[in-house]
Order: sequence, then structure tokens, then C-alpha cells
Amino acid sequence: MLVINNLKFSYPDSTDTMCFNLQVNQGEILSLIGASGSGKTTLLNLIAGFNLAASGEIIIDGNDITHLPIAKRPVTTVFQAHNLFPHLDVFTNIAIGIKPSLKLNQEEKEKIDNALENVGLSNFATRQPAQLSGGQRQRVALARVLVRKQKILLLDEPLAALGPAMREEIIELIKTLVKEKAMAALFVSHQPDDARIASQRIAFMHQGRVLDIGDKQSILENSSHKEIQDYLGG
Amino acid sequence: MKSLTGYLVVFLLILFISVPLASLFFASDLIGNQFIEAGSSLSFWKDAYLRQVIYFSLLQATLSTLLSLGLGVLVARAFARYGQFPFRSIILSLFGLPLVIPAVVAVLGIVSVYGTQGWLPLGGKLYGLTGILLAHLFFNLPLAVRLLLPVWTTMPAQYWRIGSQLGLSNYQQWKHIEWPALREVLPSIGVLIFMLCLTSFAVVLTLGGGPKSTTLEVAIYQSLRFNFDPAQAVILAILQLCISILIALIAARFIRLPDVEPDLNLHISTIPNSNKLPAFIIILGAVIFVATPLLAMLVDAIKGPIIQVLNDKNLWKAAGFSLLIGLSAAFISISLAWVLLAASAEKAYQGRKNIAQLLEFSGSVIYVVPPLVIGTGLFILLSQLVNVFEWAILIVILINGMMGLPFVIRTLGAAMRQNTQRYQRLCQSLDITGWQRFKHVDFPLLRKPLGLSAALVTAMAMGDLGVIALFGTPETATLPLLLYQRLAAYQMPQAAVIAVFLLASCLAAFWLLERGIGGFKKELRQNASR
Repeated sequence: MLVINNLKFSYPDSTDTMCFNLQVNQGEILSLIGASGSGKTTLLNLIAGFNLAASGEIIIDGNDITHLPIAKRPVTTVFQAHNLFPHLDVFTNIAIGIKPSLKLNQEEKEKIDNALENVGLSNFATRQPAQLSGGQRQRVALARVLVRKQKILLLDEPLAALGPAMREEIIELIKTLVKEKAMAALFVSHQPDDARIASQRIAFMHQGRVLDIGDKQSILENSSHKEIQDYLGG
Repeated sequence: MKSLTGYLVVFLLILFISVPLASLFFASDLIGNQFIEAGSSLSFWKDAYLRQVIYFSLLQATLSTLLSLGLGVLVARAFARYGQFPFRSIILSLFGLPLVIPAVVAVLGIVSVYGTQGWLPLGGKLYGLTGILLAHLFFNLPLAVRLLLPVWTTMPAQYWRIGSQLGLSNYQQWKHIEWPALREVLPSIGVLIFMLCLTSFAVVLTLGGGPKSTTLEVAIYQSLRFNFDPAQAVILAILQLCISILIALIAARFIRLPDVEPDLNLHISTIPNSNKLPAFIIILGAVIFVATPLLAMLVDAIKGPIIQVLNDKNLWKAAGFSLLIGLSAAFISISLAWVLLAASAEKAYQGRKNIAQLLEFSGSVIYVVPPLVIGTGLFILLSQLVNVFEWAILIVILINGMMGLPFVIRTLGAAMRQNTQRYQRLCQSLDITGWQRFKHVDFPLLRKPLGLSAALVTAMAMGDLGVIALFGTPETATLPLLLYQRLAAYQMPQAAVIAVFLLASCLAAFWLLERGIGGFKKELRQNASR
């Protein structure tokens, strides 16, 4: 379980302080929606350790990871783009997530083969990223998530560059992975429809805070917040 | 950590520039009464020789720039109007050669064509302004064409279609389509060429022909090595520095700096109503102008005493020194640039853009200070402590290494910034750090610009005559110095063979480093063993 308690952060060139509070359960995908600059990606960066919080806590399964270095955090991230190194083939792009030295034993190699099978790319191990479609590249990134076996999955607009059919396909794959591996996932999206398909619960972010969090119907259809209605175009 | 090492490099650079300059200013203070009358105007301005040197330095640089730019526009426009044709890329590659050819080699080529025994003899006129302009044109016309051609290759096809529908004449196309785009880049390219001509040393030294046609750089060298007059060298070096800083301040106004290696093979829109015959004649003329010195030198070398020159152990000793200087200078430039750029990219990634720009800019500052000025400062300083001539190779390596830094930063900077923006977070999240990061991520992604940087700095340092002329002795002669010694002794056949040997060495080093580091294949792949 992921718990964020009064996590505060402000950018060097800004006087506004962002403050985050939320909780994500094991096996759950919590979607984060909101306008650009509302703090969605900043929250993910704080959890991953790319940005450091001024105060507050990040608790994972009862352990405070707020001050841990990036590599020690039980977190894995899928970005919007550039998840794969362009000069490494699919297999090696996953392998580098297990051991950066790329000196793998047989068991680890089998793990990668299994992960590729899980994401439906078992015949793509020797392909270069340039030979894959956008959806296939994100599948490879998800295969790496599988082999890294971390407790928290951060998805920073992973569908932004994909067409509608591919988006649904990847969302279904993410849902299966999160459930099977019992991860807690935060899913940032600009598309309320993606959030609806991906999650039971949605958090609406506004000006560096979680303005409202709850069941997807309550956020997307019955919200009394003017900001949410404006965002959804209601 | 990266920031700390970056700041350390900035400190080293400051030290490298300030210590020789301080030694110059200190020396000028000690010898000041010779030139500066207390509390009154600078008396050196009354010195007719100094006035002549300053006047000629500016005159030759201005004329060279105007000629290179004017003819460069004409030739680049001809390339654009002729469109695609066989051998186009070969010709443009030929136009890239002067970037790698050592200046003293080009001088020999110019002498082979326009000298008294040459194909188109100009007689005594060659030595003086005419020869200097010809040599500078040989170097800078192709450079101008390569830098100007992208103006046309990046011009939207719609411009020409609209121009066609409006029935614009050739002149009106120039006025309304081409000139507005050219106007944007001409000042920055002009300043670059002016700076190159102002600090040109080997060309003026060999083709200058006397005090009437001497520039500041050559006058500094003559003061130190022939007249044994350090006082005059100091004043000349300070003058050269002041002019360079002034030009740099003017250049700082132009934000659009030309690329080190522009993409010349972009698709060129077909320009309607363009008459191809004048374009063909202009291109042919430019090709003949650039190719003949190289061809004439090659012919002279073939007819020359090849075996005798190749059997001379001094040649191989000089070749060894040249290679040592080239490779060591490249190593210094790339190491320093890497540390600076890594620190700069990290700061940019953290959103601290001002510090990032400052770090990157600090590596280019050295370009403002001519190598001979640094050399003179070091000469004055070290001559009081050690025998400078014994330290020649080390000093030449150091100065060439530092002077290569701006080129490496221009070649590597953008790629390194992009790399950090794209993969920093991914590397951090996958815990790819240190050697593993260099081996699996940075080197494979940056090997092309790294290879080009290494090749450029090595070829430039191998062909440098300026600093080695100041510090070199017959025992520590490099290939350019050996060639200059043969030229000065009028041993033209031997000089031709050495020139071709030096040219071949520079080209081979360039090719091997560019391909060896940059990769022989177009696509670079690296796979884990399965």
C-alpha cells in the first residue's frame, strides 16, 4: 500500500507550495487527472525521487521511503516516451532493468522471455525500438516493469502517443499486470475516458493539491466542484 | 558530483587563460616605459610599424571575409539552383576538405598553382596581400558555401511556388525570398570568417613577404623568435587580445551560430525558372579553384624525391610528434568538454538554465583568446623559470587541447543535452550509473559526435603551425614545422612530398577516429548475449 502524507514541494522559481495527500491500495490503479501544471507529474517525480520533498512522508507497506535514494525505492516508472534506449534491442532493454552490467544468468534470461510472452511480444526480442510501433514500445516498457517486480508502478501519461484502440489494449494489459503482481499504481492521464477504463477510483488534481478523490462516477459525473466541471467541459 | 567536477574544469580554464594573460600584463608593466608614457597617450600608436601591422591585420581579414562571403553566396546559390546532380555530394565533401587540411599544406598548394614555377604564375605578386587573400579564399570559400547552403535547403518549397504564381523574376526571387533568409545568417558567418582570418598564422607567415604584409600574429612570432624583443611581443599580444575581445563582443549579438557540421544533403526544392548554365559555370569555377592547389601539390609530390624524404628519420620523428600532439590534444579537449557538458546538462535538467549556460559558455571563452597570445604569455612566464624549448611538446599539446574545447562543445553539446533530457530519469530509475551508464547508454548514443570531435581536434592539432613555431626546435619539429623549414629553405620538391605526407596523415587520422569511435555502421546496435 502507498500512503502520501502532507508531502510538500515547491519549484525553485515559484512561491506556490504543492501539498499532496492520498492512498493507493495493493492491486489498485488510482488515476490522476487535472489540467497541465496541476501537479500530477510532480507527484510522480516525488514518489520516484526525481524531485525531493520539502516535508511530508511517502510510506510504502509501512516503510518511510521519503529520503531514500532513487535506486533504493521500490518504484518503477513508465514514461510517455523514451522508455527504451534506441541502440539496444528489446531483450537488452529489458535486461538492463535487471542488471545494468547486462551479465545475466539463465534464470534471469528466462524471466525476460516470460515477461515478453506476458506482454505478447515473444517474437520481438531481437527487434530494435525503431522497428516497433508506439504500442509495442510501451509493451516492452511494461515487460521491464514485470521483471523488476517493484511494489509501486508509476505511469506518467504512457498512452499519450497512442491511438484509441491501442490505448484500450495497453490499459487492459496494465490492469492485468497490476492485479497479478499486486502492485499499487498511479496513472497520470489527460484523457478522462482512459482514467474511467483504467480505475475504480480517480483523484482530481488542482493547483498542486488533490482537490477531490473518490469513485470514478462521483468524480467524472456527479462532482459538485466547479473546477472539475470546467475541466470536463460540463 | 558532476557539478563539482564541472566547476573544477571552469577553474582550470580560468587559470589557463588568466596566468598567461597576467604574465603578459605584468611584463607590459615592467617594460611599460618603452611604449607607454606616464599619464599620456599610448606611444606605441606613434610607431609606424605597429600601425602598419594593425592596419594590415584588419585589412586582410576584412577583404578575405568580404570575398569569401560574396563568392560563397554566389556558389551556394548556384548549388541550390542547379538542384540534384551527379557528384554533388562528392563536390560538397571536397568543400569539407579545407576544414581538415593544415594551413601550411594549403599554402604549398597555392604556391604550386600560382607561384613562379606554378600552373598560373602570378610572379612576385603572390607574396603579399594577393597570396594571403587567395589562401584565405581557398579555406573560407568552401566553409562559407557549406554554412550558407542550408539557407536554401531549409527554405519551404511553398515560397518558390508562390513566387512562381506571382511571376517573380530572378532578381525579385532574390530580393523577396533568398535575401531575407540570408540576411539572418550572414553576420554570424562573416564574424566567424573574420576571426579565422584575423588569427591566421601559417598563411601570413609563408605568404606575407615582409613587414608591409605582416599581421599581429606573425609580428608576435617574429618579435619573439627573430628580433628577441619580448617587449614588443607583449604589446602586440595585448593588441591582438583587445581586437579579438571586441570581435567576440560584436559576435555575441548574433544568436544564430552556424553548425559545425550542417546537413547538406537535405532535399532541395526545385526552383522554377532557374537557368542552369550560369549555375554550372559558377560551380565548375569553384571546384577548379579548390581542387587545383591540391592537385598541383600532388603532382609536385609525385615528381619529388619521395624515397629520399621517406627515408629521412626526421620525417618519422616529426610524424610521431604530430600524432602525439593530435591525439593528446583531442583527449584533453574531449575529457574537459565531457565534464563541463555533463555538469551543464545536469543543471539544465534540474531547471537551472542560467548556470547550465554559464558552464557551457565557459568552455567557449577560450576561443576569444588567440593561441599565440596564450603562447606568448606562457613563453614570457616560463622562460624565466625553465628552458621553454625543452617543454615545447607539452606546451603545444596543452594549448591545442584547450583550443579544441570550443569545437568539441559545439559538436557534442546539443547531443549531450538531448541525451540527458531523454534518458536521465530512466537511467536514475533503473540505477544505471557510472561506468555502466557510460558503456551502455552514453557512449553508444554519443559516439558519432564524440568521433567527429576527436577527429576534428586531432587533425587541427596535427596541422597546427602557430604554437609549435613559437616553441619548437629542430629536435622537436612536428610535420607542419618540418614542412615550413623546407619551404623557408626553398626546398620545394621535398616540401611537396612532406605536404602530401602531412595531408595524408591528417586525413587518415580524421577518418580513422571519426569512424573508429563513431562507428563504421550507420545504425549502432548493442545487444546482451542471449
